[in-house]
Amino acid sequence: MNFVLAVQALTDAGVEFAIIGGWSAIMHGSAHLTNDLDLCYSRNPDNLRRLARALAPYHPRPAEFPPELPFVWDDRTLHGGTVFTLDTDLGRIDLLAEVAGLEVWTLDLPSLIRAKRAAGRPKDLLALPELESLLDAAADSGPAAE
Amino acid sequence: MDRLENSIKRLRHPAPGSRIEAARDFGIDLNLLIANLRLTPAERVSRMHAACVAAEQIRGIARRRSS
Repeated sequence: MNFVLAVQALTDAGVEFAIIGGWSAIMHGSAHLTNDLDLCYSRNPDNLRRLARALAPYHPRPAEFPPELPFVWDDRTLHGGTVFTLDTDLGRIDLLAEVAGLEVWTLDLPSLIRAKRAAGRPKDLLALPELESLLDAAADSGPAAE
Repeated sequence: MDRLENSIKRLRHPAPGSRIEAARDFGIDLNLLIANLRLTPAERVSRMHAACVAAEQIRGIARRRSS
C-alpha cells in the first residue's frame, strides 16, 4: 500500500475524506502493519467527482472482480454504492459509507475503538487490547503505577 | 510530569488488573507502543509506510523466485 501517494492524490484533488481502520490506529501509535487503506468519504456529488478523478489514474477495480468483465470507474459508480473494496495501483483501498461534516482526517482513539468493536470481526477485536492500552496510557485521570 | 512521560510510565509499569497489563499478558509488545508514542503521528505513518514498501519488495522477490 502506497499510503503517502494515495493520501497525496486525494488531498491534491480536494477530496473530503477521513482515514479509519489500520492506518488510523498507526497514527495513534499502533505497531500493527496493515495492508489496505480504509477511508470514509463525503457523498456529496462534487466530492464523488473529485474522488473518482483522484483515483482514476491508479486504475481502481473492485477486488476479486473478474478481469474479463468491464468496470467503469466514475462518480456515477460511486453514487450507486456505499462500500467499495478496490484494487488499485497503490494497493487495496476500502471506501466506506459517509462521515458528515468532515473536520478531521482520522478518527480519534475512542472513536476508532468503538468502530473496531462495532465491526466485530476477529481481526478488529484482536486490535482492541493494543488500542485500549494506548487509550488508557494517555488517560488524564489517575497516576501511573510505580 | 509531562503527559507523554506519564503515558510511557503507565505502559512500562502497568497497574495490576489494568487493561494495559491484560494487553501485555495477551502478547502486545508494550515497548513497541512506547517507541511509537515517542514519534509524531507523521513519523509513525512514515515508518509504517517504509515497512509496507519493504514488505512489498520482499513479496516481489519471493514471487520472482517461485516463478
